[in-house]
Amino acid sequence: MRKRKKTGPVEALGDGVFRINLTDSERETMLAFVDQLEEVLTAEHTDPRLRRLFPTAYHENPDLDAEYQGYMRDELSASRASSIATVREVLGTQEPISEAQLYAFMMVLNSLRLVLGTLLGVSEDEDTDDIEDDDPTFGQAQLYGYLGWLLEWTVDTLSNG
Amino acid sequence: MPFTTDPVIRPWDTHASDTQVAEPDVHETTETDLPWIVLVWNDPINLMSYVSFVFQKLFGYSKEKADLLMLDVHEKGRAVVSSGTREHAEIDVFRLHEHGLWATMQKDSQKDS
Repeated sequence: MRKRKKTGPVEALGDGVFRINLTDSERETMLAFVDQLEEVLTAEHTDPRLRRLFPTAYHENPDLDAEYQGYMRDELSASRASSIATVREVLGTQEPISEAQLYAFMMVLNSLRLVLGTLLGVSEDEDTDDIEDDDPTFGQAQLYGYLGWLLEWTVDTLSNG
Repeated sequence: MPFTTDPVIRPWDTHASDTQVAEPDVHETTETDLPWIVLVWNDPINLMSYVSFVFQKLFGYSKEKADLLMLDVHEKGRAVVSSGTREHAEIDVFRLHEHGLWATMQKDSQKDS
């Protein structure tokens, strides 16, 4: 069992209210990544960075999948855009936030990890912690680790808060 | 809440709400009675705690059941997380995709289960 620190980056204040304890510069950095995510979401459908954000639904039937993507893809994009808009509000304030806002924050963190993990080619046997500091992807790997840490805290807080 | 006492969801399990669906959708008139199953595939990116939490939120599963399902995905490469009509499966797949999980759906078949 993990020993719980008194305050982490995400904190339950009780009564369904939460606070994200990030500094202004951390918030600015996160907002810049959110901007990048938004840009990636508007990329061509075939862009490999989107592979994990818009997966196949009917893996055995390309025709049914094309049909599904035809009416669901826009809805999925709209849902992501809505979460991103919420996260901009969340990162723009030091005020307490609602559970729904924290939930949107969790989803966007996960989307960011999916894009970054895809770019890094994260696989089951490879640990991003092992990347040497002279590796060109070192910065991305650090960020990937940071997002994972923040997401873990967010899930933990939503589960117990 | 459905299945809270059942530790493992099987392909022939259906959503409790599906029992209320009386009339098949027009798109399903050519389908057989076999329900559709929703699979979640193992992936190296999503955090285990996150996957379990998403199962709890989307399907109302207990933490114990969600953890078992998540471990099933992790160890066996995939697991059936829900089943029902095609329409219902599409909604579940959509919600799982919304959460970044690698979900697909297929017609249930005995040989696959």
